[in-house]
Amino acid sequence: METKNIWENKEQTFFKDEALDRAFGVVMALATEVYVLRDRQKALERLLVEKNLIEFSTLDSEPSEKERIESLQDRKEFTEGLLISLLGKQQSRGKTL
Amino acid sequence: MDDRSFSAAQDFLLSVKTFWTVDVFTKVKAEYQANIGNLENSTSETREIEDLLSDSATFQYFAWLERHLQRFKYSGRYGINTYYSEKRNTFSNILSNEERSEDYLELTQGFELPDYYRSVDIHQHPGGLWGDEIAGLVYERGARTTTPLMGSAHKDLHHRFTDLALKDIGTPKDILDMGCGFGKSTKPFYDILNESKIEAIDLSEPCLKLAAHDAAETQRKNVKFRQINALDTKYDNESFDLVTSTMLIHELPAKEIGKMFEEAERVLRPGGRMVHLDFYSLPDEFTKFIHYGHSERNNEPFMKGFAELDLHELLTEKGFINISIVPFSEAEGVDPNNHSYWRFPWTLIAADKEVF
Repeated sequence: METKNIWENKEQTFFKDEALDRAFGVVMALATEVYVLRDRQKALERLLVEKNLIEFSTLDSEPSEKERIESLQDRKEFTEGLLISLLGKQQSRGKTL
Repeated sequence: MDDRSFSAAQDFLLSVKTFWTVDVFTKVKAEYQANIGNLENSTSETREIEDLLSDSATFQYFAWLERHLQRFKYSGRYGINTYYSEKRNTFSNILSNEERSEDYLELTQGFELPDYYRSVDIHQHPGGLWGDEIAGLVYERGARTTTPLMGSAHKDLHHRFTDLALKDIGTPKDILDMGCGFGKSTKPFYDILNESKIEAIDLSEPCLKLAAHDAAETQRKNVKFRQINALDTKYDNESFDLVTSTMLIHELPAKEIGKMFEEAERVLRPGGRMVHLDFYSLPDEFTKFIHYGHSERNNEPFMKGFAELDLHELLTEKGFINISIVPFSEAEGVDPNNHSYWRFPWTLIAADKEVF
């Protein structure tokens, strides 16, 4: 049986410990996600204030079970986007250092 | 992915890239200059600079960010490739309006892409620039933020190049733009030269489709985009007064660059001019070290081979005269010989075909 070269698409590394390369990828993905949320939250708050649609305190209440189930797929995609760097695999083919 | 989230994520990544361009690069350079005394001589080779900086945490983060900011930009949850893939139907319908752009586009049935072109996903564009129908749109979006400090002025770079390419040569009757991509380099020419006939060629079908689509929107009749290899164009001898390219040469293997110049010389009329904008001028070893590192980290495998060519000698060998190889200022106020932040080593390469 032919053995597949598991490092065929191995990502480049720059730190002394490759774990840090991968971990910092997680940090960057998380930072991006945080900024996306900040941007959306600011937009939402601005609209709420402008249109007097809800009280701010409403936002603090616990989500319903239905709301949690509805956000399941979003959480799955969020998690995959956050942790994909841990795999250390190139996503576009190029030189492996 | 919703448009707002995509935009916010890309804006954030650009913000980090700007920090990398200014703050991280400046720190790396300062550390290099502070430690250069530890080297045997100040004109150290790039290998020695790498050894000098290899233990620097700043340099490690510099290198990591250079590689991975580009990865995040194109790939993953908020990547450009992901965004356009999700909206594939919308965008492919726009680009497949062939009736509208057929006057501007000629594709080649069974066109064979060179092996070197398919062997690597250039500048970390997943799948390369040729495979996916949306690749042109992805590339166009990515190119908007290639040089973070320029922002919206990036377009100005091509106008500056166009002005210099046309300087002192009047209005060329026929122009060939090699490696035109999605038409960014061609547009300033067909916008201002109503009386000229402009041929723009590239390997990538998705990029050519986007270029033709954009040209069709302008309704100009002086440009045609064709799927042709710049190394073997099939145009008649002495067909053009001006041959140009922007950011093409560094994407060719060193052994093919001579062929491209030969082809340019063949299709130029006597007295015609060839002008290229590319990355070549590396005045010191540190700049060279940074540029060669960029080549490896950003999937640009041929940058180093091009930079190490004796270009003046090659152009002379191919029969060109009046050869000029000078640093190019990509924006107003940028001094290419004394710039504090990271930048591409933009270089204007010009030469004339002799009048016999």
